[in-house]
Amino acid sequence: MDCDAYRDQMLDLLYGEATDADRRAVEEHHAACPSCREEMAAFRRLRGDLSAWKAPVPARARARMRVWPGLAAAAAVLLALGVAVGVGGAELRRDARGWSLRLGRGTPDLQARLDEQDARHRAEIAQLRTSLGREPASTDRDALLAAVREIVQQSERRQDARLQDAVAQLSDRYETQRRYDLAQVSAGLSYLEGKAGLHAARTNELVGQVLLASQEK
Amino acid sequence: MRVTDEDLVEAFQGGDTAAFDLLVQRWDRKIQGAIYRFVGATEDARDLCQEAFLKAYRGLGTFKKDARFSSWLYQIALNVCRDRLRRRRGRTLLSLDALDEGGHEAAVLPGPSPLELAEGRDIAQRVARAVAALPEDQREVIVLKEYQGLTFAEIADVLDVPLSTVKTRLYRGLVQLRERLEHEGIRSASVVPAPLP
Repeated sequence: MDCDAYRDQMLDLLYGEATDADRRAVEEHHAACPSCREEMAAFRRLRGDLSAWKAPVPARARARMRVWPGLAAAAAVLLALGVAVGVGGAELRRDARGWSLRLGRGTPDLQARLDEQDARHRAEIAQLRTSLGREPASTDRDALLAAVREIVQQSERRQDARLQDAVAQLSDRYETQRRYDLAQVSAGLSYLEGKAGLHAARTNELVGQVLLASQEK
Repeated sequence: MRVTDEDLVEAFQGGDTAAFDLLVQRWDRKIQGAIYRFVGATEDARDLCQEAFLKAYRGLGTFKKDARFSSWLYQIALNVCRDRLRRRRGRTLLSLDALDEGGHEAAVLPGPSPLELAEGRDIAQRVARAVAALPEDQREVIVLKEYQGLTFAEIADVLDVPLSTVKTRLYRGLVQLRERLEHEGIRSASVVPAPLP
């Protein structure tokens, strides 16, 4: 009986991916093969045990924030571009879903809307700078880019500091692990030396007894 | 109608960066759960999850439209995990107890204390250690199949191996897990019912 031939179909059945034909083939085989029948039953029990291991719930908000290093800086640049092309009819929008940019030239009828958007974007740039802890700067493009560069450099400095901390911690862990391993090896060697010494002592004692017995003869 | 991952990718490639935020919301928990089971430590899982999404963000602009986003994302997650495990092995921070019977280095877990092991009551901890002790190729398939719920075809796509290879690795992984847990005296009465056709 070639049980291997049914293995893939058994797995399909175990995980709900078997066709009707596969299911019938496996069931027919299991009717004639107690070993395979028991194996599948054991795998079903095993899956129950495996389901006991739960992954911790991730800190979603924190992870999302940290996925976007320099998001504030990137948004500031995006806003600056939005203002610069605002008179050309581009629309830069920020809503609950984040930032989106639509390019294109509006009709003269929409000029008032575009001007309103331009004013709103300038206000949002000033608000963003304030939330970053800076005084609203002039709308001069070079000054804005310099501010963005400073934000990015600050972020890089913070990341360098975190990296150095992580390396220092890693070095400590490595040293601790090394000492632990050396202590274990030393303990093991001491144990072996003790055992070897005891064995040698017993051997000497036996030899002594044999010699004594031979001399008495 | 639900917006598909591929629709969001297309929106992102069209300039809508908010589309990526939606993709992160959808996949953050699943990817972090998978990474946690691949490498075994919560802190590492969080860092590696960020790293995976950063790589995805950088690469999404050139993502091929005929590919499946979820498979691509899992590939990125697997690669960051493999890199991390490779770096761990290079630093020789594993104790000899972490080697499985085949001599393969297992993922290091912040496992239970010797007292907890002696008492042997925590099935979840034992399952975690059993999975961590599997060879890397078997562990990947077990995690993707058992915990992420991918189909065999999807796993073959993620790992870029034939379907038969996926099933062989899964079977061997299940056999090893069964032997290890039965050896530790875990015989669960719970049974996962056969899935409905």
